[in-house]
Amino acid sequence: MKLTEDDLYRTSTQFKHWSFTPSQLAAQRLQTNIQASERVKAAVQRQRAQRAKQLDPASASESDRNGTPVPLDREVNCLTVAEEKKLVDTFCEKAIELGGFFKFPIEVTATGIQFLRRFYLFNSPMTYEPQTISRSAMFVANKTEGHHMPLEKYAAGFPKATSEQVLAPEYLLVQALRFNFDIRHPFRALKGGHLDMIEMARGNAYTFASHILKTAALLTDAYFLYTPSQIWLSAHLLADELLTLFYLSTRLPPSSPLHSKTLTTLRSCAALLSSHHTFTSPTTSAADKAAKDKKEKEEVQLLIKKLRQCRDPDKLDLVKLNQAQKRDAVDGEGLEEKKAKRRKLEREGYQKEADSFWGPELPRRENGAGGK
Amino acid sequence: MSKAASRANGASTKRLAEDGDICPVCKSSRYLNPNMRFRVNPECYHRMCESCVDRIFSHGPAACPIAGCKRTLRRARFREQTFEDLKVEREVDIRKRVARVMNKTESDFETLRDYNNYLETVEEITWNLILKIDLEATEKRLRLWEEAQKAEVESINSTVSRRLHTATDTVDPQSDTARVILKKSGVQRKALGPSSANTPEPGAMDTGLKDTGFTFAGLKKRVAPEPEKPFDPYGGWNIEPQYYTVMDDYDVDFISGAKTDVHHLAGGYDIRDFYSRALCEAFSGFGVFVEEEVIARENQASGDVGVGTQTAATVADGGKEVNMDDIF
Ligand SMILES: [Zn+2]
Ligand SMILES: [Zn+2]
Repeated sequence: MKLTEDDLYRTSTQFKHWSFTPSQLAAQRLQTNIQASERVKAAVQRQRAQRAKQLDPASASESDRNGTPVPLDREVNCLTVAEEKKLVDTFCEKAIELGGFFKFPIEVTATGIQFLRRFYLFNSPMTYEPQTISRSAMFVANKTEGHHMPLEKYAAGFPKATSEQVLAPEYLLVQALRFNFDIRHPFRALKGGHLDMIEMARGNAYTFASHILKTAALLTDAYFLYTPSQIWLSAHLLADELLTLFYLSTRLPPSSPLHSKTLTTLRSCAALLSSHHTFTSPTTSAADKAAKDKKEKEEVQLLIKKLRQCRDPDKLDLVKLNQAQKRDAVDGEGLEEKKAKRRKLEREGYQKEADSFWGPELPRRENGAGGK
Repeated sequence: MSKAASRANGASTKRLAEDGDICPVCKSSRYLNPNMRFRVNPECYHRMCESCVDRIFSHGPAACPIAGCKRTLRRARFREQTFEDLKVEREVDIRKRVARVMNKTESDFETLRDYNNYLETVEEITWNLILKIDLEATEKRLRLWEEAQKAEVESINSTVSRRLHTATDTVDPQSDTARVILKKSGVQRKALGPSSANTPEPGAMDTGLKDTGFTFAGLKKRVAPEPEKPFDPYGGWNIEPQYYTVMDDYDVDFISGAKTDVHHLAGGYDIRDFYSRALCEAFSGFGVFVEEEVIARENQASGDVGVGTQTAATVADGGKEVNMDDIF
């Protein structure tokens, strides 16, 4: 029984569950956005209705006096798909800085970023705040990659974050990942390719390709659309086109029908990688880059401001939600009434089922065994 | 036997004796000596108290003090009684002894019928021993059978160990190690008889000609177990790279340190493992065109609904709601 390298990759969850076509990706993002927007709108509506009920006896002027002008009837301005994606990308970038700050190995940071990207494929930043989630994602990534980091030490690294805040979205995140923790990175692959290529040439292509893998490859959809092997080859293609092409022809003869297909795939992957703003080819000047970065920063600032306007009010305090979930508490804002009711019904159902099997609970004797 | 003896005593002591509260040798009773304990010897199963055993047998083997029994008993073989009825005690002992020798299982026989016949024979000789019919002949047959079994096991063990030795070193059979084994099995054969001492191959020893005490129809011949194959952690699968070949060594800066680093080497780290892993990862998925395969997979998945692993792909289609619990 034989297995090829490709078969090995096909068994990974990354291929099975987390590989998409570009149109699938776009469709999924659109759907996530629509669902989240509807949710936010509904939640805000509900809150307003509640507030209106409370304020009913008092006049509207009272709310003005409180100094909190409530934009009562204005429609919530939700983020668009593109804006959402931009936000996620930004927080992925910030995650790299975070990894640098904690001096995590690149695998940990990379895994954390991919967790984040996977999470926001099915969830919107409007529902769950990217900053909170990225903190958790990085912490989960530490555990996944076997890099020991005590929770307290990790939480202490943030100016305003508690251990609870790091842990609260953990289960949510892990569930959104469908418990697929294995991320296939192209880092070791690049090393392998470097080993294989070293016989042909010695250059600094490795360093540059590695840099691309650690930035652009992580910050784009490359992991969703291409395999690690293709990603590192594309990065290498950007780093040293001639060498890579020559290398490719030694591994895959140009006469092979796969050759042109592979090359097309690599080129499109390379285009994706180079389209990212962190990518700097040797030709871009420093001034250009600075201008690009500044523009980027301004855009993001605006987006974050917008995000504050359209956050899902139900999911603001994840810590409280998490505690409520754990306690199964029914009190107040934690759980909606409907959910609490459903849980109660479920519990009763289990009880009934158990009773029909074991018979009802025995009546308790009052005066010990001596009763008549 | 003991029951019959105690019945001869007076009516008042009868009940006590039956309960085993009076030593038939020294007549002391538990009524006076609450710590009294009884012992039996499987030679004749006569009960007596511990102090009698100490008194009579502390200077070596002596005759049983019970009237009419002249068997020689040894102190070491006295033991506590497990069953109240000494007949049961004796039968259990006999059955234990027979079962140790006659230890075939159903899988040792060709058919169930053969096995049942064997069981029948075993039961028959058990009862012979219990009821003391043909005692001497039965004992002898049992002994012969036991020896034959032992010799058979020994010959198999020696073939297995010889196989091991020949597998590990390719020295000819006349070497020291081979001779040692032959000598060992020779000792066993001497116990059986002088005729087989010169047989070069212990497995070739013909047990059919010797008196083994019993012959059972349909009994499979014991064969040495197949030599164990080396453990294959991949269960028969192996990775056959299509795009690369791993070389023995690579001269690259970033691994030259690890090659000589004692921290790496101490644990048995082999740099070649890194080579093959890195190269495998370099090309793992090289020929997987995601777009193409995902579409193909989807077409297939829509054919058979409910394939769990495919749900993520179908979900991504945008049609269905992602099946994820909102935990909050
Ligand atoms: Zn006594
Ligand atoms: Zn006796």
